[in-house]
Amino acid sequence: MFNRKRPRKQQEEVNAGSMADIAFLLLIFFLVATTITNEKGLSMKLPPDPENQTKAPANERNVFNVKINSKNSLLVEGEVRSEIGNLQSEIERFIMNNGEDPNSSVSPAKAIVSLKTNRGTDYKMFIEILDEIKGAYFNIYGGRVGMTSEEYRSLKHDDPNQKDIYDRGKQGIPMNISIAEPDNL
Amino acid sequence: MSKFRKDNSRSKVTISTASLPDIVFMMLFFFMVSATIRDERPVVKTKIPQAKELTKIDKKILIRELKVGVPVNKGVGEEFKIVFKDKFLTLDQLSQWAQGQRDEMPEYYRNQMIIVLKADEEVNMGVISDIQQELRKINVRKILYRTLKE
Repeated sequence: MFNRKRPRKQQEEVNAGSMADIAFLLLIFFLVATTITNEKGLSMKLPPDPENQTKAPANERNVFNVKINSKNSLLVEGEVRSEIGNLQSEIERFIMNNGEDPNSSVSPAKAIVSLKTNRGTDYKMFIEILDEIKGAYFNIYGGRVGMTSEEYRSLKHDDPNQKDIYDRGKQGIPMNISIAEPDNL
Repeated sequence: MSKFRKDNSRSKVTISTASLPDIVFMMLFFFMVSATIRDERPVVKTKIPQAKELTKIDKKILIRELKVGVPVNKGVGEEFKIVFKDKFLTLDQLSQWAQGQRDEMPEYYRNQMIIVLKADEEVNMGVISDIQQELRKINVRKILYRTLKE
């Protein structure tokens, strides 16, 4: 009795099986035809035009000099290096010196990290060093608000709470990275 | 008990696939939203360098991307060239180009324009600094060096 009734009760359905096929087709089309743009990278602010720039003489002790020559070797504070090593922590120490070491910066606000390249320097090398410098700054910023550099960088600027944390980390320590005018050698 | 068992063994077990389209559509929408259609063929070869300390730009409208690299088409030459979309730009044209791009933007975004440099890792800094010098002249100073996550 039960067995007989069941098929009658079943309602007619529209077969939705082919729907998946259509969707898959569209999905594959979009997969092939698109690239996910991820606008990520190292941001920099260039100095103003040299012609209408007022030169503020910086005290030698406040400048951390990094130079890269055309053979991609480093000159850090007058010292030749063959490897990057712990450049990042060195820069961190330089920025946060607060006048302790007489050869290092007076205050974080006054510290400048200067990165000078030669025309023949590889872009890759430049990015590598710039990465170290930025890493030092982000580490300091993050450390002030109890975050890692990565967490700090992923703070969203349009969220007031996160923006507030961002500003607190950065306050009083501007990111003074100077890409000095390249030598025309 | 025996009757119950019989009944169970007779009916066919099928997995409902009705929710499959939903899942697929969800993926489809994700890709539609998160992707932009690739409308250009690469004109220059750009293998971008890697870095750790990346920052992300939230406002896509501010971005203008310049590529720097060796042309794919060997007939054009083997020197590093600057390319916007699929047009070659010379250094002299650069400031005019940037001004044009800036004027295209809505008024309140104009001085926030960010130039994204997608440069091949083999490019010399000479080329990069020439570009920067040109951009500085017309006060376009925000730059992002496009890199990959290390």
